[in-house]
Amino acid sequence: MIETILLLFGGAVMLFGALGILRFPDVYTRLHAATKCDTGGAMSIILALVLMMDAPALVRLKFLVLAFLIAMINPMVSHAIARGAYKYGVKPKVVVDMYAWDNP
Amino acid sequence: MSRIPFYLKERLENLRERVLHERFEASKLPVWERIILTWAPLLAFWVVISANLEPRNLFLGATVTLIIASFMRDMLTEDIRRTGHVLEKLLYFTFLYLPQYLIIMAFRLIESNLKVAKNVIFLDIHPGIVKIKTDLHSDTGVTILANSITLTPGTLTLDVSKKLGETYLYVHWIDLETLNREKAGEKIKGDIEEWLKKVFW
Repeated sequence: MIETILLLFGGAVMLFGALGILRFPDVYTRLHAATKCDTGGAMSIILALVLMMDAPALVRLKFLVLAFLIAMINPMVSHAIARGAYKYGVKPKVVVDMYAWDNP
Repeated sequence: MSRIPFYLKERLENLRERVLHERFEASKLPVWERIILTWAPLLAFWVVISANLEPRNLFLGATVTLIIASFMRDMLTEDIRRTGHVLEKLLYFTFLYLPQYLIIMAFRLIESNLKVAKNVIFLDIHPGIVKIKTDLHSDTGVTILANSITLTPGTLTLDVSKKLGETYLYVHWIDLETLNREKAGEKIKGDIEEWLKKVFW
């Protein structure tokens, strides 16, 4: 029961993340959709797999290590991409840009 | 101070730096405790990743991780606040702080997923980049805070800058509400910074 809910939630979140990458206007808002939806969707699918699988406990713990690594590395990668895009010169479509005030 | 000759001044500076360094080193834990505190997570990681419990495999893992832990004994314990006893701190961390953090972050992650879905459907975005100040200074603390901010609803960390002993974060906010630094910091960081200030400096 709960694993079905987790699988459906993960699939729906991944779908909305893909839609967000298509619909949002610039790099930074697209990164919002990519990071959050990938992390949440992948983690809920992994949790569903942990609950569903009939395997020894150590193999399930491996899946939890995978979830931890995804949750730790995914925000870091999005941070690196956003900073690299800003340094390369991609202008964000924003109302206020305090980063440009401090780094003219 | 200005009357002191140049070479004496230089030696005085060196001495002051050495005293600072020695005091910092003396306030740390003893060496073997640091080695054990680094060794235990590494060995647990080895057991989980290799996933067989034969004595030969365990012995190999213990040897290799002990060598690595004796080299990198400051890796995990350097940025943790030094108050109280080690065991007390460890028990507090495993039974009180870690579950609290996991529960906070799980609910925030679900909320942020739903918010991104709402933004995708209605496209009611109003983005801006704001600058907020944090009270954390250590590398591990700032890293965990930036990652948590990225996973909370509607915010994404762009850059970190350390100036004059203060740490600032630049945050891309998808639904800009306020420009005031304190109010924005309260809204963005929430209770995660309170939690992190108990563990890291």
